[in-house]
Amino acid sequence: MPLAPRILVIEDDIDTAAEIASCLALGGFRPEQSFDGRDGLQLALTQGYDAVTLDRMLPGMDGLQVIKALREAGSEAPVLMVSALSDVDDRVIGLRAGGDDYLTKPFAPTELVARLEALVRRNRRGSAAEVMLRVGDLDLDLVKHEAVRQGRRIELLPMEFKLLEFMMRNAGQVLSRRMIFEWVWEYYFDPGTNLIDVHVGKLRRKIDTPGLTPLFKTERGVGYMIDAP
Amino acid sequence: MRLSELWRITTFRLAGLYGLVFVVGMVALLGMIYLQSAVYLTRRVDGILNTEADALAQSPRVELTQRIGEALALNGDQTNVFAVFSARGRWIAGNLHTPPARLKLDSRPIEAPPTSDFPAYARLIGRRLPSGEALVVGRDVSQLREMRSIIASALVWSGVAAVFIIFGLAVILSVGPLRRLRGLQIASEEIAAGDLKRRMPTSQRHDELDMFAGTVNTMMDEVERLMLEVRGVTETIAHDLRTPLTRARAQLHRLEQAERPDPSEFGRVIGEIDVVLERFRALLRISELEARDRHAGFAPTDLGMIAGQVVELYQPLAEAGGVRLAAAPGPATVIDADPKLLFEAISNLVDNAIKFSGEGGVVQVRLGEDPARPRIIVQDNGPGVAEDERASVLQRFYRSEGNRMIPGSGLGLSIVAAIVRLHRFELSLQDANPGLMAVIDCRPPSLSR
Repeated sequence: MPLAPRILVIEDDIDTAAEIASCLALGGFRPEQSFDGRDGLQLALTQGYDAVTLDRMLPGMDGLQVIKALREAGSEAPVLMVSALSDVDDRVIGLRAGGDDYLTKPFAPTELVARLEALVRRNRRGSAAEVMLRVGDLDLDLVKHEAVRQGRRIELLPMEFKLLEFMMRNAGQVLSRRMIFEWVWEYYFDPGTNLIDVHVGKLRRKIDTPGLTPLFKTERGVGYMIDAP
Repeated sequence: MRLSELWRITTFRLAGLYGLVFVVGMVALLGMIYLQSAVYLTRRVDGILNTEADALAQSPRVELTQRIGEALALNGDQTNVFAVFSARGRWIAGNLHTPPARLKLDSRPIEAPPTSDFPAYARLIGRRLPSGEALVVGRDVSQLREMRSIIASALVWSGVAAVFIIFGLAVILSVGPLRRLRGLQIASEEIAAGDLKRRMPTSQRHDELDMFAGTVNTMMDEVERLMLEVRGVTETIAHDLRTPLTRARAQLHRLEQAERPDPSEFGRVIGEIDVVLERFRALLRISELEARDRHAGFAPTDLGMIAGQVVELYQPLAEAGGVRLAAAPGPATVIDADPKLLFEAISNLVDNAIKFSGEGGVVQVRLGEDPARPRIIVQDNGPGVAEDERASVLQRFYRSEGNRMIPGSGLGLSIVAAIVRLHRFELSLQDANPGLMAVIDCRPPSLSR
């Protein structure tokens, strides 16, 4: 088992930082804290973290400046921006500056952990272009746009295919409803109620037909995961 | 009333400025008169003196003493000076017994103060006679001097009087505006102290102060309205957030007391807190929408396509709830809008419609028939919204009493209303007999900018 990923938490509010750190520790990370942009940048550049959570508004050097400086210095550490600004424009600005994901306050701790896990994994796996995804006995051909389980082709609607691709790319990784909505549908508002649940449920019924080993797992209060048994 | 305050009043400054201009003009005028008349009269006296001196100087020496006597007899020795002195300055003839000290012969006339010989100011001229003796001719100029001093004092006193009058007038003229200004100040201080009902006092004059006070009052009406709205909103939010938080607290308390807490209890507490967080998110979203730059994400947007996408997104949810969701085909309609926001608005309407129509319900998303008046309609056959509640449902942060049992932030309609406001579209709720029809009226692109 690889070492727990080290995460740098750059957050000026000490209580929030402590809170985030304890969530991360519970989620299996090794968090370290920094309370202002300049120190944070210094640490991020020298300590080789697996990921950074970065508050958008910091004293001295704000989050956007930190991330720009980080990218200019050649660091590729995944950065999760955490901000009270939830507008699409703010998100675009944050991501364009070099952020890898964007989470708005207030957030559930599980959401934070899920997103960081996704970032760390994506980073460790590298970004090689894949043409075939495989989880257990489920194959997804990205060229032919085909899902096959145990040799049997599964009919999928375009959105279902996209959803399955996203879940399989992040196999073994808990995905929150909001993450799914953002990555698959690319909308950033609150989808409300159980919209994502029914989409995942529908896909799940097509993949995990009775008699087969279930690949889908529900993490109560967090979201969903697809993983080989 | 302090002077420093008075000085800042425009009326005072203007009155002072006009007064100063007036005083300067008056002084210049009087000064001119003074100079002109003094110079003129002096010149005339000098001319006469020159003529007399020339005439006497040219008369034969033997007749001179007699001539001087005649001249004195003729002109009076109290108003005229005629005298002859030897080259050494010794008196020979005339009504002056010592030659005036400053007098130079054959030079310009001088003015000499009264002496024992001649008890008045005199203008004197001297001539050297061919014999070497000195002839002195002079004239009483006390009248001229008096006149000059009269004009000079008139100049000074009228100047001083004018300055006082102007200052007094400026003060009087400024008292009115200053008093009204004081009234405005008091009113604004009271407003700043929290009395939002207070208004600026106005007079019947309709002058610039009244215009200004009127503008401020209009602004205050708006501020008061907003404050009331904020208060209402704050109370609503407080109420909405307190309920789940109170429940969560009670549950936590129970868990704290319990010997062996039931893990599912924790889930319920988290659920309650999630509700609060969800509401917070919705509230933030609304205020963000309201603070947004209107046209940032605007682009030509195909209404029908958006409607189709929303229906596709919500189809599984509708199916799961036993609701038939359909997009009715309509005319191709392209409007100027932010497609993501419009999608969010229609999603919220559809989400609501599915929730409220319930098992066996029918929800339809369709476009208006008239392409010139683009509109999008989300219709359900649920219980609808009571007529008297329809307006308040669209208010900021409003949550219907009946809605409180339905999961979700309950702020969906408020978000829709905020998005519609941002677009300057119009949102209305209508009776669909049975059910509710939510209509977004979108103006055509040419009119929306």
